[in-house]
Amino acid sequence: MTAQAEPRLFDLGRSEDQRMNQDTMERFAANEIRAVAKEADEAGATPEGFYDKTAELGLSLLPIPEALGGAGMARSPVSNALNAEDLAWGDLGLTLGAISPQAFVNTLLDQGSDAQREKYLPRFCEGTFYAATTALMEPRATFDPTVPQCTATSVDSGYTLNGSKCMVPLGESAELVLVIAQLDNQGPAAFIVEGTPKGMTRTREEHMGLRTLELAGLTFENVELPGDALLGDGSFELQRFVDLSRIGLCALAVGCCQGVLDYVMDYVNERVAFGEPISNRQAVAFMVADMAIELEAMRLMTWRAASRAEQGLDFQEQAYLAKVACAEHAMKIGTDGVQLLGGHGFCREHPVEIWYRNLRAIAILDGVASV
Amino acid sequence: MKVLVAVKRVVDYNVKVRAKADGSDVDLNNVKMAINPFCEIAVEEAVRLKEAGTATEVVAVSIGDKACQEQIRTALALGADRGIQVETEGAVEPLVVAKLLKGVIEKEQPQLVILGKQSIDGDNNQTGQMLGALTNMAQGTFASEVAIDGDKVNVTREVDGGLQTVSLNLPAIVTTDLRLNEPRYASLPNIMKAKKKPLDVHTPADLGVEPKAHLTTLKVEPPAERQAGIMVESVEQLVDKLKNEAKVIS
Repeated sequence: MTAQAEPRLFDLGRSEDQRMNQDTMERFAANEIRAVAKEADEAGATPEGFYDKTAELGLSLLPIPEALGGAGMARSPVSNALNAEDLAWGDLGLTLGAISPQAFVNTLLDQGSDAQREKYLPRFCEGTFYAATTALMEPRATFDPTVPQCTATSVDSGYTLNGSKCMVPLGESAELVLVIAQLDNQGPAAFIVEGTPKGMTRTREEHMGLRTLELAGLTFENVELPGDALLGDGSFELQRFVDLSRIGLCALAVGCCQGVLDYVMDYVNERVAFGEPISNRQAVAFMVADMAIELEAMRLMTWRAASRAEQGLDFQEQAYLAKVACAEHAMKIGTDGVQLLGGHGFCREHPVEIWYRNLRAIAILDGVASV
Repeated sequence: MKVLVAVKRVVDYNVKVRAKADGSDVDLNNVKMAINPFCEIAVEEAVRLKEAGTATEVVAVSIGDKACQEQIRTALALGADRGIQVETEGAVEPLVVAKLLKGVIEKEQPQLVILGKQSIDGDNNQTGQMLGALTNMAQGTFASEVAIDGDKVNVTREVDGGLQTVSLNLPAIVTTDLRLNEPRYASLPNIMKAKKKPLDVHTPADLGVEPKAHLTTLKVEPPAERQAGIMVESVEQLVDKLKNEAKVIS
């Protein structure tokens, strides 16, 4: 026996805390998220009171220090990924909205200054949902998340922000937006934008999926920001932010794909054609098996990236590989989910068409859900 | 007022259970376990009494092997103040459970004991009533409403054909029905905090009880598979089938 236990290869069991979290998350996903997902998708809006209900789970306030009103728990990328996975089983878009403030909170804890933490974090500890988000993506064909083209220029009173962002979750209603921009051509930095200052416009975007998420475009025309809007000391670790976001997206994809798999398994065992369940046909059974195999691969890659992040090891490569695999497989699982239900899958009566549209976003989005 | 709630570790209600191949029991290998839903309602009711200022302390007790500490922790995460585990091995029958709970009651002296009306594994619906008989405490079973009124508790019971309200002198025993309340979700911070709450472990001997088995399970088998139903064309056809095929009416 050595004094310090070496990390074991290979235990993928959940801890007792994580199992208890899972209980809460799975029940919430089934009773509060899945139950309203279809109606919300059709309305293109989140049901009233939904986000406040998610706030009762305490996702955002968990890692906030007790002195600021939070629970003061150690931040765990693995537990965060598991929670996102379990919730996304209910609905991807609603979950992404619910955890968007977490991305803001975690980045502030990670890279913000003490003064910024004291100013903003208590707002997330009041028991109701406080809408905050992060704005990374930009509307151009050559978009690279690590090279923003939004610019911030130092001026006497602080900074002047110019440029545009797109596909910002909760973009219409977020009271705090963390905007990633190039600072004085020196490198990327993050800025806390509060409310809608002069020169900033928010425009709701219409997308094929994630219709409840209020994805919006933000434009900044000579927006004046105070000096303390700059996150931390300005040396923003953009790559880390992007990598954590990718793990979050992967976890959401895994949860949603698990929903697809559970649904089609029930369906193919119940649906009778030619006198027997269609699962007796190999063409069907192989598709379902492939789905399960791909999903397990997605899950393990996501957990591995999250686990390395949690241990403080480099995880850029693992997050990237997971993201690529999840993007591809999630699309495949989404479309196979529709295909396995045949005409019923195309029909809006079954949820597989929502999942198909939502999962399509995994290959498009970046930088929206920090774990 | 101190409230004691009993919680049981059972197969999660979403699990499709299977009988073991040898027919000796239900197969619990790799099966998700959870707090019995009726017990969860009991915990919620106790926590609400505390939030309303009526109860001062909520103690959650469970009987079983070490694994049942997980369900005690769930109760603590939902708002109970401390936990007690009575450590036993193997299946414990309702009468033994009632005797052990009587032992806990004698130690703790609660004013109110809230239990689920039954657990969803055995479905016996016996423990609360047996406990009432053993302790001589008043009992209000199948509660859909519980209201403390001074040194009394008024319990609205779901009985065949309607609702009945009984007024019990404290200390009393209440068993919960499904409609008493809707349990909250254990929030993540409360799950973490539950770890720091005290949890004592007793043995049956500490409580002066020797667990005995009075029942022997002969066989566990799944129910016979049902034939698929049919849609009838008319009321006349339905009546005809009930009369002549099913022979349930004449």
